[in-house]
Amino acid sequence: MQDVLVVDDSKVMRDMVVACLRPFGSLAFTQAASGLEAIEKLSLKPYALLVLDLNMPDINGIEVVEFVRSQDALKALPIIIVTTRGDDASRDKALSAGASRYLTKPFTPESLLTEVRTLLAERGAAHP
Amino acid sequence: MSEGLDVSEFITGYLAEADEHLTNASTLLVSLDATMRRRETNPKAVRELFRALHTLKGLSAMVGAEPIVDLAHEMETLLKLGDKAGGKLPESSVDLLLKGVKAIEERVKALKAKKPLEPAPKALVDALAALRVDAPTSTPAAALSLDPELSAKLALAEHEQLAQGLARGRRGRRVDFQPTPEKAAAGFTITAVRERVGKVAELVKVVPRATASGVVFALLVLTDATDAVLAEAAGAAPGQVTPITLNAPAAVAVDVEEDDARDDSEPAARDYVRVEVSRLDDALERLSALVVTRSKLERAVARLRDGSSDLRGLQAIVTENARQLRDLRGAIMRARMVRVSELLERAPLIVRGLSRASGKPVHLDVQAGDAELDKTVADRLFPVIVHLLRNAVDHAIERPEERRAVGKSEEGHIRIACADHAGRELELTVTDDGRGIDREKVAQRAGAPVPRDAAELLDLITRPGLSTLDAATRTSGRGYGMDIVRRVTVQELGGELKLDTRPGAGTTFTVRVPLSVTIVDAFSFGCGDETFVVPVSAVDDLAELEPGQVVATPDPNAAAAHVRLFRHRGAAIPLYLLGKLLGCPGSSAERPKVIVARQGVEAIGFQVDRLIGKQEIAIRPLKDPLAMVPGVTGSTDLGDGKATLVLDLGALASRHAFRKASA
Repeated sequence: MQDVLVVDDSKVMRDMVVACLRPFGSLAFTQAASGLEAIEKLSLKPYALLVLDLNMPDINGIEVVEFVRSQDALKALPIIIVTTRGDDASRDKALSAGASRYLTKPFTPESLLTEVRTLLAERGAAHP
Repeated sequence: MSEGLDVSEFITGYLAEADEHLTNASTLLVSLDATMRRRETNPKAVRELFRALHTLKGLSAMVGAEPIVDLAHEMETLLKLGDKAGGKLPESSVDLLLKGVKAIEERVKALKAKKPLEPAPKALVDALAALRVDAPTSTPAAALSLDPELSAKLALAEHEQLAQGLARGRRGRRVDFQPTPEKAAAGFTITAVRERVGKVAELVKVVPRATASGVVFALLVLTDATDAVLAEAAGAAPGQVTPITLNAPAAVAVDVEEDDARDDSEPAARDYVRVEVSRLDDALERLSALVVTRSKLERAVARLRDGSSDLRGLQAIVTENARQLRDLRGAIMRARMVRVSELLERAPLIVRGLSRASGKPVHLDVQAGDAELDKTVADRLFPVIVHLLRNAVDHAIERPEERRAVGKSEEGHIRIACADHAGRELELTVTDDGRGIDREKVAQRAGAPVPRDAAELLDLITRPGLSTLDAATRTSGRGYGMDIVRRVTVQELGGELKLDTRPGAGTTFTVRVPLSVTIVDAFSFGCGDETFVVPVSAVDDLAELEPGQVVATPDPNAAAAHVRLFRHRGAAIPLYLLGKLLGCPGSSAERPKVIVARQGVEAIGFQVDRLIGKQEIAIRPLKDPLAMVPGVTGSTDLGDGKATLVLDLGALASRHAFRKASA
């Protein structure tokens, strides 16, 4: 089982993300409703993947990405951004902050699943 | 929405959340209305409204409620602008936003009743879109007594919120919370702490920070509660509560452009260097050696005062001092070094982004090695790397089908390699296996003759404004050209740029830059046909040489060495003919100029033919030991591709004086 941390302030959205990823099989899900909660959870236990919304209370997704990438232990953590912000500026900002993938809402379950598969495979290759 | 995911499963949840956001939005709008009537801003309400509508928009997009998405989008856009302007909104905003909330409510109800949704009312959408928000005033509020690291994390609106609260007499406090598994198990999480603190204070911002002992959250609040109450709520010791106060108005770093595109060619605007502690220790050790020398010097001076002159001893101390200063400078320079691997850390992300944007699969291979660069060079070099990568992905790598057709792998390959040359220069190559640069096409486009070799081709493609793709692609068409690459590499950093391209096989750009450069403002001036530069800091004054100002041509020895006396500010100072000192052909200027420099306390004049101008230059140390001449600190490129000597006038004069003394 690999642990996935799903971060979104909307419960429905988190549930949708989890539903999209269910077919993957060997994943366990932890949910966080804010960027702060995400950072706290990441600091307490390792995760295989982070699925992250950009727009959240307290601190936004970009700040979470920047924070994650500033920590040695989390440098390699794959991050998928799932956001309503489809503009190039947000995409560039997220990717250059260190996000691994960028999906805009609405997304299809297939697209999310494909990204997760690729990222976890890459990670598996890097950390056998 | 999409295939595979059953939306109906989520509709109930959607409706509940949408209701919550809409109720929240209505409440916020009422309070916003009240503050706007008082002609005050309410940055917090604007920010929260923005968030509510943004979330609603995303959720609605997932369930395919397009009319709601349209409405929420316009409202969100307006609120985002308002948020950036520190909470300022046009007067009619509240009215329109209330109408918007109502329109969304109607559509949410329709969704609940499983009725088709009416499209968003066009008049309302247009009216919302027509509202403009004044640009944020560039003068942020008074500075806060906050750690700059925390202050930098505050958006303008949050900064305003704190400053306004403090100005109204509320107490600003920072309280830290460190999560642990034990605390989490006991339900003491950041979420719980936020809630508890939120009951006794207005929570403005929570900033997570990585510390040696783990993650610590700094909660920044406005409160009327005592520190003890606040500490209790955060599960902290009372000593962990620190006040935030208003400082006298001053420039303060506020990230105004928080949500704006940060061009990824900017090195994250981070003005700091990560330094290994051992390097700082080294610098400190050298500093302590200097302190010892200082006491030696004091003792020597005391002995001189007592009449027992020991000049040889003093000379030894001065020599030692000079060596120590050089060592200290070296140690500090080493502390400024940045690993090239760190600089290139983000390259894979950038390429991934570019690859996705262009639809061309690209593999990037980074061989950063363990070379290090001075921070100044690294900062300037980063945009060059980004641009070369962009060019490689957008222009050089062919589309997959094109690659397949010519027998290449569908995935393009880009390699960045770095090597440190003799501890003086960094050679960075960006190689792609793309189509190569088509000389004829480039020539045709530039309206120039076909270049005969790689150097000419490089000249051509680094002309401002030239692009070989007919339609500028999305990622490369942002005004960055190869001219920038050339300017930064050659002119700003005093390096070299080379090109090797083979049609059909690929292109390699080689950037060679010094590992460290000193960048200073300098005056350039001419003697005969030659141009020289002098750092502005070394120049005391610039003057025209009037014939009557040369007061004497003293003894023949001096005349042979081109020294005269020159009246300057009521004193006679030595005047050297710079051209003669440097062995340039005789000067012919009718109106010569004088550069006045200082050597210790003495002023010295240097006569030159003409002053050319002032500009920022990168001083490159002279590499060839044979070319190391006292009086010449290095060379620079003023943009004409030629090496221009950087002079140390004081050293030039003393070299001359030395010669005279030994003659």
